[in-house]
Amino acid sequence: MNKVHILDDLADSVINGELEKAAATAKKALAAGLDPYEAISEGLMKGMAKVGDDFSKLKIYLPEVMMAADAMNAALGILEPAALKRGGKKVKKSKVVIGTIYGDIHDIGKNIVAMLLKANGFEVYDLGREVPVDAMIKKSEEVGADVIAASALLSTSMPYMEDLISLLKDKGIRKKFIVMVGGGPVTREWAKEIGADGYGDDGDEAVKVAKELLRKVKPR
Amino acid sequence: MNSIWEVIDKTETGPYMEERDFDLKVVAKRCRELVKEYEIKFDPNEIITTDDTLADDLFEAGMRLALEAGIFCRSTKRIIKFEEGEIHEAVVSAPNKLHIGTRKDARILYAREIEDKRAAIICGGQAGAAIPEEWYLPMSLSYMKEPLIDMINNGGLTVVEGRKVRTNSPLEIQATRRELSMLREAAERAGRPGIHLLAAESSVSALGDLAIASDRYLRTSDAHLVALLNELKTDYDRISKVVNFTEYGALNVTLVDPIIGGYAGGPEGVAVCFIASFLLGRTMYRSDYHVIHPIHFRYMSTSAVECMWNLNIVGQAMARNAPFILMGDVWTSAGAGTEMIFYETAANTITNVVTGSHPLGVSATNGKYPHASGLETRFMAQVALETVCSGLKRNNANELVIKLAKEYKDRMDKPDIGKPFPQLYDVSKVIPKPEWNAIYLKMKKKIADMTGLDL
Repeated sequence: MNKVHILDDLADSVINGELEKAAATAKKALAAGLDPYEAISEGLMKGMAKVGDDFSKLKIYLPEVMMAADAMNAALGILEPAALKRGGKKVKKSKVVIGTIYGDIHDIGKNIVAMLLKANGFEVYDLGREVPVDAMIKKSEEVGADVIAASALLSTSMPYMEDLISLLKDKGIRKKFIVMVGGGPVTREWAKEIGADGYGDDGDEAVKVAKELLRKVKPR
Repeated sequence: MNSIWEVIDKTETGPYMEERDFDLKVVAKRCRELVKEYEIKFDPNEIITTDDTLADDLFEAGMRLALEAGIFCRSTKRIIKFEEGEIHEAVVSAPNKLHIGTRKDARILYAREIEDKRAAIICGGQAGAAIPEEWYLPMSLSYMKEPLIDMINNGGLTVVEGRKVRTNSPLEIQATRRELSMLREAAERAGRPGIHLLAAESSVSALGDLAIASDRYLRTSDAHLVALLNELKTDYDRISKVVNFTEYGALNVTLVDPIIGGYAGGPEGVAVCFIASFLLGRTMYRSDYHVIHPIHFRYMSTSAVECMWNLNIVGQAMARNAPFILMGDVWTSAGAGTEMIFYETAANTITNVVTGSHPLGVSATNGKYPHASGLETRFMAQVALETVCSGLKRNNANELVIKLAKEYKDRMDKPDIGKPFPQLYDVSKVIPKPEWNAIYLKMKKKIADMTGLDL
């Protein structure tokens, strides 16, 4: 099997959410002597980009995106250690800590954003729902996050987003992180009012804004 | 027969499962398989369908999902399962007529049929919105003053006496009580003291809800919402609300709002999930009536074409097979003060009224901004009334809805959000300002000319 075929197979296994095929093809790629970095960027990431695009167009839905992310992770688990062994550095991805803010049990919107971020090459730490503000900050410090993303569907959970920014300021670490907010009742104006760096009206905008902010605020 | 007590037993003894497995291996998988097996297809050219077989097939698919999936209880990670006989009993015992409100303001809320010739019950208010405390009373009054509005479902409060209300904080109690006090006062001032309230929107946890079960706030002739969490889930907070209202004797209303693009899949999978949700919601909560609210993953609005198709097919499937009382949400992308809101409201309302639900709205800007008033809900009521009076059939209704949707569907990404209530109404007299009234009159005529409805 030639290189192009293997890369296509890697992309397809992600697109189709085939976890076992993704892992097997990753092994095949290494056996065939492919550069693991290339397998990741030209195979897996290409597949994931297609998944994100299809979801935005409502050609596929959240479960397919989740299965694609699982398949990608399975292959990454094989390709990344191989890349490190070859003396390379770990592929540097921007890190996002995301969660539905405290008091709010709604997580589908947040899950969609998390998946789209993954599809666009971010390393995502999803803390789930009803995440206390201090837990969000603790995790962000622990993993060295670039972005903290908080979601709320309940208006009465929005004040906890303000708390998130206040606590970051109190700890003297506000500038360490890009803070983004979003969710049903959250508005652009309100995001600005509380001092968040970014806002996404939907998943696509969240990804776009995260990328823009990383370019502007945290040049790499 | 299941009571809420047997349901609580099931939350403790049902099969254990991880939530992610329930989402992917049960809901997502079965929705996809059932859509394929029953050949359920969304057709954007048939937002309102005349295909009765499709409606019946959808119901059968939804019943199978209800039986196979059950409801996932987040508090215990156990699945509440029901036997076919239990669901059947819940369906046949579901009220198809209810007395709501009191005295001269009482109404009979009923299960609508397809192309029903009876006037729809109109539920007015900006449901789901966070409304500033200083406008809450006049804004509520703007709905109560509209004679065509039969019942009220307005938004909630998120600030009380200058304090921001936080989920689970004691202020939820104060906010919910204040919401009800102001709704009661608005009803008195409008001379409609007995109007039916579907309320307690300020209570997002069970706290506020538990604090308003009293004649002073929410009466036994009133109702509160108990959501089914997305998709096919509940938790102890929801069940606590049901327990309290069951003993209190007021009405439980299930809010069902599956997401198009979420775990259930596209429009077709969401339709299957809707049917299962209604059947399980009734069996679990013993709900008296139900709110149907498809959510589009990007637009939120129920006026999105995929959402209206859901309102149509789910409404028809239920009307033909399990005649529950359904309130169909009218949530628009545009805000009050704009022309766009009238197109969205007309399309959404015609869809609801012809296919088995009563209109509930207008929740302008999807409740994101308090840019709403009684006037656009008057328009919703006029469209609903004329839809019935003109004897509109499904095929003609479909043509009108497609024509109306063309006027706004490409603008849903960047809708005109309009203006806040005090810029639309003279707040002291609670009447529309001339500019807003002029837009209303212009659009009423335009849509009457466009649709042939005598508005």
